[in-house]
Parts: sequence; C-alpha cells; structure tokens
Amino acid sequence: MVLNNIEIMFGGQAGDGSLTTGDLIASVFKRMGLEVYTYKDFPSRIRGGHTNYVIRAGERSNYGMADAVDGLVAFDVEAVEAHIEEMRPGGFIVFDNTSEAIPEHLRREDVSWYEMPLAKMAKSELGLELVRNTISLGALGALIGMNPTIVRDEVARVYQRKGEKVVDLNVRAVEAGERYVREHFSAAPTGYGLVAVPDSGRLIMMGNDAIAYGALVAGCRFMAGYPITPATDILEWMAKYGPTFGAVVVQAEDELAAINMVLGAAFAGTRAMTATSGPGQALMTEALGLAGVLEIPVVVVECARAGPSTGMPTKTEQSNLNHLIFSGHGEIPRVVLAPGTVEESFALTVDAFNLAERFQLPVFILSEQALCQSKATLPPLDVEAVRVERGSLIADGEVTFGEYRRYAFTESGVSPRVIPGVPGGMHLEAGSEHNDMGVITENARNRARMMEKRMRKMETIRAELPPPLVHGPSDARIAIIGYGSNRGPIAESQDRLSGEGIATRFLQLRTLWPFPEDDVRDFIEGADHVFIVENNYTGQLERLVRYVVGPLDSLRTVRKYNGRPFRPVEIMEPIRRHAEALYAEVRR
Amino acid sequence: MAITLSPKDFATATPSWWCPGCGDYGVLAALKSACAELGLQPKDVAFISGIGCSGKISGYLHSYAFHGVHGRALPVATAVKLANRDLTVIAAGGDGDGYAIGAGHFIHALRRNADLTYIVMDNQTYGLTKGQSSPTSATGYIAGTTPSGSAEAPINGLALALAAGGTFLARGFSAQPKQMVEMIKAGIRHRGFSVVEVMSPCVTYNKINTYAWFKENVEDVTQHTEYDPTNRSQAFEVLTRTGKIPLGILYREERPTFEELTRIPKEPIATQSIVGHSARFVELQRHYR
Repeated sequence: MVLNNIEIMFGGQAGDGSLTTGDLIASVFKRMGLEVYTYKDFPSRIRGGHTNYVIRAGERSNYGMADAVDGLVAFDVEAVEAHIEEMRPGGFIVFDNTSEAIPEHLRREDVSWYEMPLAKMAKSELGLELVRNTISLGALGALIGMNPTIVRDEVARVYQRKGEKVVDLNVRAVEAGERYVREHFSAAPTGYGLVAVPDSGRLIMMGNDAIAYGALVAGCRFMAGYPITPATDILEWMAKYGPTFGAVVVQAEDELAAINMVLGAAFAGTRAMTATSGPGQALMTEALGLAGVLEIPVVVVECARAGPSTGMPTKTEQSNLNHLIFSGHGEIPRVVLAPGTVEESFALTVDAFNLAERFQLPVFILSEQALCQSKATLPPLDVEAVRVERGSLIADGEVTFGEYRRYAFTESGVSPRVIPGVPGGMHLEAGSEHNDMGVITENARNRARMMEKRMRKMETIRAELPPPLVHGPSDARIAIIGYGSNRGPIAESQDRLSGEGIATRFLQLRTLWPFPEDDVRDFIEGADHVFIVENNYTGQLERLVRYVVGPLDSLRTVRKYNGRPFRPVEIMEPIRRHAEALYAEVRR
Repeated sequence: MAITLSPKDFATATPSWWCPGCGDYGVLAALKSACAELGLQPKDVAFISGIGCSGKISGYLHSYAFHGVHGRALPVATAVKLANRDLTVIAAGGDGDGYAIGAGHFIHALRRNADLTYIVMDNQTYGLTKGQSSPTSATGYIAGTTPSGSAEAPINGLALALAAGGTFLARGFSAQPKQMVEMIKAGIRHRGFSVVEVMSPCVTYNKINTYAWFKENVEDVTQHTEYDPTNRSQAFEVLTRTGKIPLGILYREERPTFEELTRIPKEPIATQSIVGHSARFVELQRHYR
C-alpha cells in the first residue's frame, strides 16, 4: 500500500531547536504539494522538559492529527517512552543513540528502529551539536523519500538570514544524515510514497497569524494586549506589521489595562482588539460588560488553553465556551465566533470587526491552542473580497447638539455613534444606566426600554452571523455537531467512515452565540444518533444543544479533556459502535 | 475660527450628585476655567473618569465624556489619546480609584508618559460607599471597615509618581481655585503625562481632614524663590518630608512622550481611512508561501 499521508513527530527537550526543524519539515511537505497540519506539544517552560512537534502531511486539506504516529524522531529515551504507545504498527523510530540506549522494555517489535549517533555526528563531522536536528532531517528525508532538492532549497531558505556559512553547514548536515542512512540501513520504512506535485502558491500559516493578518486587513488600527500563551503571537505579529499600516500596538501592564485601552481606542473611533487566553479573559470580564452597556465595538480574541487557573498553558481545550457566553454581571448582547480552520480564522476575524461596528457590541473570536498555534496549508487569502462595514458611524461632518442622541431608541437597537472631535456630538458614555442622551438615570421605565434596546441587537444580528456549515450528506442518519479545531478530526472521521459504508453529516458551528437554535434544531431533525464532539469535561456545547432541543435520547457525547486534540480514531470508534447497532437494526 | 469660550460653556445641564460643600465642586470649577482659558472647544476634549464620588465629574463637564469601570480611567484615556492626538485628554478619579484599585495603571501611565492629564481628587476616604478608609487615610483613621483605626501607612501619591518616572507633578487644594486653574492649565500644556493631585475634602465622612485642617496643614512651597521644580532630588525631599503638605507645581521634566517614541502619526488614527492597501496586504502573504 502506498500512503501519501504521514504523521511525523519530532520529540526532544524544549529549547533544543526541534521547533525550527519541525517548521522546516512542514514547509518541505508543503513544497512537495502535500496538505499540512502541525501541532506543537511543548511544555510551559523555555529550556528542558519533553517537547514534541507533530507534522501531518497528506493529500486532503484541513485534517488534524492522524490516528497514530508514523515516524518518530526521538532525541532521547524520554521521547520514546512518552510516545511508544502512540506509534502505528509498522511505523518507525529514528533514535539518537549518542549517549543513551533504548531500554529493552520499550523496544516494540512492530516498529522499525533506525538508531544513529546524531549528536556525535553533529559534533565530530560538523563541529556543532545543534545541527543534529538538521542531520535527522536528512536521515528522515532519505528514509521516507522526501524530495532531496526541495529539502536543500528549504534549508537554504530558512537559514539564509543567518548567512552563507550557516546555510552551508546545514546543507552538509542534511547530506550527512542522508549518507548515514544509505551506508547503514538496508531497508527503508515501507508504505510511504510521498509524491511531489506542483505547489500552486499556497500558504502555510498558523491560526494566530491568520487572525492577526485578518484584523489588519479588516482595518484594525489599535491593539493592546498582555503576553499570555497561546495568544501572544497575535500581539507580536501586530507589533511587527501593524505600525507600517498606521496601527498603534501597546503592550499593556495587564489584561485589565489591555481591554480598557481597547475600549478607549474604539470610543475614539478606531477599530480595536485584544487577544488573550482564559486567565486574561477572566480579568477582562468587567470591562466587557462596560463595552456592552456603552455599545462600543470591540473584538476580543480568546485563544483557549486548558484551565482552570494556570491549568496547562500550552495545551488545548474547549472549556472557555461557557465563560465567553455567560461571564459578567448583568446582561449584554455579545457574539462568539469560532473558526475551524486557519482560513476561517482569517475570514471570521474580518466578520468580527464588521459585526462589532455594525451592531456596536463586543465580538469574541474563539480559537484554541490546537488551531491558533498550529500551522496549516491553505490557498492564498483573498483580500480583495474583504468588505469593511462600519455601520452607523459619524466620524466627520457634524451633529446638532441637543438633538443628537447617542443611545437613541431604534427598531434595530443600534443608535448612531459619533466619535470625539465631531462638532455637536458631546455626550457622556456611562457604565451607569443612562437615557438616550447618555444622562445617568435610574428611572424604571427608561431602564426597561434601554435593556430592550440593547438586547434587541441579539435578534437583529442573527441574519448577519456566519452560518454553520454542513459537511457530508444531509440525509445521513448519524449526525455530528462540533466546532473549532475539532473540524479537522471530525471531517477525517467522516471521510474514513464513509469508506466503510457509514454515512455521517456534520454540523460545524461557526457562530456559538447567539446560539444558532434553528439551525441546530433543523440539523438534528431525523437523525438516529447525534454525536457532540468537544474538548472539555462538562459538555459545554452539549448543554447548549440540550437547551435548544430538550431531552433527546439520541444524544451521544464524545469528550476529551487531557489537553490534547482528538485523533480521528477517538471519534470514529464510538460512531462505529452505534452505527453497527443501527445497521443491524436496519437489516433485521 | 473658533471662538473663545467661558467656563459656563463647559457646563452640562446635569444636576450634580455631590453633597453641598464637597471639595469636588472646586475641582470642577477650576477644570472648566482651565479649559476655557486654554481656548479649548468641548468637541476636542475627551474626559475620562473612574468610579466613586470623584468619578461623577465626567457627567458635569461638557465634552466627550467617558465614565468607565472602577480604577481604569488611565488605560482608557491613554488609548483615546493614542487614537486621536488632536484631542485634549483628561482623566479624573479619586484616591481609591487611582491609588488602590487603579494603582497599577497609575505607575505604568507615568512610565509611559503619554500626553494626557490626570486629576486625582483626594478626600482620604471612600465617600460613595459611605466613609471607609482609603489608601491615603492616615494610619489610625477610624472608619466602618477599620473600627480600630487604619493599620496601613498612607500612600504618598506624588512621591510614588516621581519614583515611577512622572514628568509633571502638582498638588492643589480645592479651596484655592486660582492656583488649581493654573496647575491644570500647566498640566494640560505639559508635553507628556501630568498629574494634578487635589486635596478635596469630604464634608460628610472625613471629619479629620476638613477645610479647616487643610488650611492649617498646607504650604505652597513653590512660593519660595529657591524652589526649583526641575530638581528631582529636591522635589523628592519636599514630597517626603514630615510637616506641612506641599502644594504647587512640584516637579516638571521634559521627556519624549510615548507617542513620539513609538512614532504614532500626528494625524488622528481614528479618522484615517481603513480601506485600501490591497497590494501591500497581498505582499505580506509572501512570508507564508
């Protein structure tokens, strides 16, 4: 069997350069025309501690992790120990045996072992131990049949910034790895027929890059943030590229400052955002209530990680959904969007800014570590198609003082918004309840009307929200509901189950709040089994679904909460089990 | 051609919620006079306040006013300024808002030195929650939450500000309006972050630090000809010595602002067009090929 589909894992100690080599392998696969997904599983420390970098490459786009690891490049016994059970039978391990030997109890017979003194070769042949990563790349390439020219081109491209000497050193390292494989191993791992096809100008991008890029293209010109894993990439990206487009980027003293700065910039008329993760999101909660009541458009990116408290900062989880939807004292209109791919991370970020300004409310973009810090291949992003819609904004001209009402009661709930500097528009924006002129009042009738005006936006916005996507035949008797990074493993599960004769339909939610009640209800209609796939313990998405559809005997849950993304097998197995019973019933 | 306005032009129709005799009236009056005398237009003034009795002040100044959450006036004000450098941005709040819940932002606003003015209305108590100890209450101050007397040392806001990199520090007393007007004007004119702390007595809850007490205990040190407000160590000495509370413009320094150092365009970012740049955006994608 020739399988143009492989999962490579690079495992070693944090800080030993394996991330750079992992990125390199990803771009080699991309250059070979394959679709790539990467997953970084690194510890929350800078040096030391087991780290691994997974590169999935195949012919289908927008997949996630595979069922198992095909090839492990292990720089120490710890990496073998941590992942030996994840190896596919028939897989292979490249092991650096410079200073350690594989203990017998770890030696699985059903995987091939390629042991070589990587560190020793790096030191003695090339004079620099660090290049053992690149030697392993050469060896790996020779073992699985990576195109050697592409490997050299990519090495040259990645290291060119560091000068000719470094490029030369790394190219020689690649050659050393290839040579060692030729001279010492008679058989290569079988089953991999990686074929190079022309790469049609695609991109390889991380989810966080796509969000930051999308924000800038959408006209975001102010970002404030506080460093937090896994969201920091967005702040760094903006700090690097934003100012050349006239954007202001501030590293705030904390998340409280960051979100209040975003409110200030948006009040002044700038498209503004922040990006954070669970702990920072918790700190921003009070100010988001303020954004809701002041009707100020803000965009908040939540790159979810495993909680609670510090939790596992570098691991993935979908446990912040409740927080985004329900957090805060009092009631405000809000929107939660959830991209499922890198491409959608771009598109939904653009939508987020338009929705925030058109409806004057906070919009959350919910990503997750397994999406925001993962790279994927995608077609070029279409910036020409981006439309900037600013809604009822009065940024120039003038209004008549005494007539202008910042919080005018309207049918849509949206009132005309002036920005400071516009003559005649002077008013107070107060977090205290206020009347249509902005004057603080606790009048009972006004309070009720003002609540209704603000909350009405949740209804008028519905038709404008990114609709869910249905993947697979819409009449399949098995239904799956999920969102975010689970899109990949669910889609792959569907494809493979379909190959086994099990048809499924998958509702990928892209707006999580206001919850798309009608879409969910319609989708569930007629399904024999409804599987809700999510990365948390309590079933936060499932509760939302139950709230809409009431008690449902056909509801099945597939949950994972160990900080790692789903592998397709974990979704396919429960579906298969129920499908067998279903088909047995049909046959009877 | 803008016409020069009078203090009345900065008044709003909203009736005040402050108690009769509150020190905050003096601050508001001085602020209106300062704005008028500087020839500002209400449309070009962004006035950001925190929470507490002091925070209500944003409702009483005819301007683009923002009354946010407790302790966060400075981050909001900073961003308003960065988004639109044409605006005169003034933040105001009390001792609890600025030196307790918002103390973190105070220090960083001083480091950052963005071009805005911060008025701290210090009444040494929490007025709006009915008279608890505040960060500037004297040790031993008896209140509902500290029935045996406050066990904490009071914060010396301006000494803290000086240590944190403040570039304009002044202190006034709300019963001395003329001096306050001059201070606020100088603070607004100052290129960078200016702090004007005002002793603003709470007539309802603070029975110790009363108008009469302040009259006995304040001293305008800048009246002395030898006082040099550009001398940092002298300012620190005056701010930290025991005895009378020093009033006046106590310290000033020219230091590049955050806007200057980060090369934020002079033209307001808030009013720039955000469409276009397509070719440059496409070019950015090359990094990901």
